[in-house]
Amino acid sequence: MKPIRIAHLFPDLLNLYADKGNILTLRRRLAWRGIPVEVEQVRRDDPLHLSRYHLVLLGGGSDREQALVGEVLRKQRAEWASAVASGLPLLAICGGYQLLGEYYETAEGLKVPGLGLLDMRTTAGSTRLIGNIAIESPECGRIVGFENHAGRTEHRHLPLGTVLHGHGNNGQDGKEGVRYQNVIGTYIHGPLLPKNPRLADFVLQLALAYAGAPAELSPLDDALELLAHEAFFQRRIVVGRGLRRGDGAGASR
Amino acid sequence: MIGLWIGKCVLWLMQRFGRRATSLPGKMALRISPRLFARLARQLNFCAVVTGTNGKTTTTAMLSRMFAAGEPVIHNAEGANMQQGILTALLRAASWTGRLRVRTAVFEVDEATLPVVAPYLPIRVAVVTNLFRDQLDRYGELDTTVRKVTEGLARTAASLVLNGDDPLVRHVGLSLGTHHVVYFGMHRGHLHPLEREVMRDGAFCLRCGHPLRYDGFFYGQLGQYACTHCDFVQPHPTFCGQYEPGRLHVHQEGLPGMSFPLPTRGLFNAYNALAAVAAARVSGLSAGQIERGLQSFVPPLGRMQPFATTPVSVLNLIKNPAGCDSVLAAIAAEPGDKGFCILINDLAADGRDVSWLWDADFEWLPDRIQPAFCVAGGLRAEDMAVRLKYAGLPAAAIVPVPGIEPAIDAALDRAAARGVSLYVLATYTALYPAARHLTRRADTTSGTASWDAGRKNDETHPDSPPVSRSPESVRG
Ligand SMILES: [Zn+2]
Repeated sequence: MKPIRIAHLFPDLLNLYADKGNILTLRRRLAWRGIPVEVEQVRRDDPLHLSRYHLVLLGGGSDREQALVGEVLRKQRAEWASAVASGLPLLAICGGYQLLGEYYETAEGLKVPGLGLLDMRTTAGSTRLIGNIAIESPECGRIVGFENHAGRTEHRHLPLGTVLHGHGNNGQDGKEGVRYQNVIGTYIHGPLLPKNPRLADFVLQLALAYAGAPAELSPLDDALELLAHEAFFQRRIVVGRGLRRGDGAGASR
Repeated sequence: MIGLWIGKCVLWLMQRFGRRATSLPGKMALRISPRLFARLARQLNFCAVVTGTNGKTTTTAMLSRMFAAGEPVIHNAEGANMQQGILTALLRAASWTGRLRVRTAVFEVDEATLPVVAPYLPIRVAVVTNLFRDQLDRYGELDTTVRKVTEGLARTAASLVLNGDDPLVRHVGLSLGTHHVVYFGMHRGHLHPLEREVMRDGAFCLRCGHPLRYDGFFYGQLGQYACTHCDFVQPHPTFCGQYEPGRLHVHQEGLPGMSFPLPTRGLFNAYNALAAVAAARVSGLSAGQIERGLQSFVPPLGRMQPFATTPVSVLNLIKNPAGCDSVLAAIAAEPGDKGFCILINDLAADGRDVSWLWDADFEWLPDRIQPAFCVAGGLRAEDMAVRLKYAGLPAAAIVPVPGIEPAIDAALDRAAARGVSLYVLATYTALYPAARHLTRRADTTSGTASWDAGRKNDETHPDSPPVSRSPESVRG
């Protein structure tokens, strides 16, 4: 079997929120199933051949670094648009998520243009939206993690999920992230994939299908991952909201 | 005056009842009289401050020992590095009429607190140890930390003692051109090539945005660097350090070499000693005074701190990737087979976000240390367990045990059964309960259990909102 090739974009610039954890999760979950995988780190000055990859990861960085990345990415706007239209799986987190839209407007009113792949705009708010978050996704069930962003994002696509607890895209409309073609964008890090194995496998399934190897993923022993997911949800979300549900919520202490 | 009395009363009461009074007295006093800080601070004749991400506590403690070798000195307790902690230290040295009995101070100051206290303290010497990623959820992003430190230092007329091996600190130095700046750095002989692909916060030139080229690394982003585009380069150090086990050699530009006892282990501690020596020299202290200070230095809590449990255990504070990596490197250099107990809390003082666990190089465990087992504990025990699984540790070696005391007990049992020594790693709010429990376990074997066992620890109030990093306020 030919390896699944994953591009990790600009690890030198966009790695503010432990994207290493997301890469490691994808890599291990393929390896544990005997599926060969290659992760290529694409740096700012490297040529980017989107057609090489079955999955692309775009992480978050500070404002300064994000502006640098936006500048580089926009040079290949046409390639990006056609790759996404043809179904390239793309996982974009925090700053990377914001870059998919038309622009990011800073607190000083400066509009930093994005890739324009989505009908989406982000404006910096006066406060940061920080904290533990849980959302419900129709495709991947409950997703938990941490969010930390000044940007308020509005878009006209489907969200990744609806907010159970936390702020989400803009702290207003109860929506978190974006789902469009095989693009997943989200503010959730923490990091995202290790504690959300269903989402991790959903992303891998997209990549396998795109690579022309639509094999069903064999199940893994996710006891530890699910334990971490559940413990986080019970102690950090349910207790944090002061909820006491019949399903044992809050009973952990 | 009321604020002073309240503060002193709280201080007295806490000491009377054996509590660690590091921040609460200052916090209460500040609430009642906000101007008390300025009133006490302006009586100081000389103040040195230490800020930065890692090594503040150790550097401050070493520097204050050096000063103390010549005169009495005010010094804030470990970790109590926000305004209330500094005020608590001043209160301790103040009479009931508000007169400071000691006029020299060495303070550890939190990066974000520096701009707040800098206008009031007569800061003559300021040390920046390094600027690593630390607690993103508190400061937002790293750039903010660089800005806060720069802003704070700009409000002083201090001589700046900066880590020239750190490009972010170098940037701070360059943007404060009107100050007297000296740099310290390690000798090239300690450089090593990068073995693993790791993210370095300073990997880009803050001036022009182009990548930095490294010829070698000390640890984290510390190394020999130069911008690939502009003239941003590592400065030549005024104080150059070379270390060997137990000794630190310092070459001060234009002077014969000096050599000092190094009372701590690991490269990161050699950096702390070098920073303290440089600051002491800039403050006019003699080599003899520095030597006496280092000899009397006792390593602070949670820096390779041994406990006489059965088997023996060693406690280390971990709080961010760079600090954690340096701890793992130091442990890897220790002889013998090892077991681990890693305690991760996510209270405000630890940082609510535990993403940093994924930036820390826990791959050291399977790759170089191969521990007999690894118990994951604390409020985020399960997250730590998952991190270890993806680091490549065999599933059978990973034992999640939520809580602190149960995790330590489970780890000590396993260490005894396997005949290995135990290394306990703990985040800030897990550190004190861990130290307490390890002391209790050490006492039990010698029959002198004396700790207040009914006292609640941090875990009982996971969501109480502490305002400082000091243990008494996070205890809720
Ligand atoms: Zn430059």
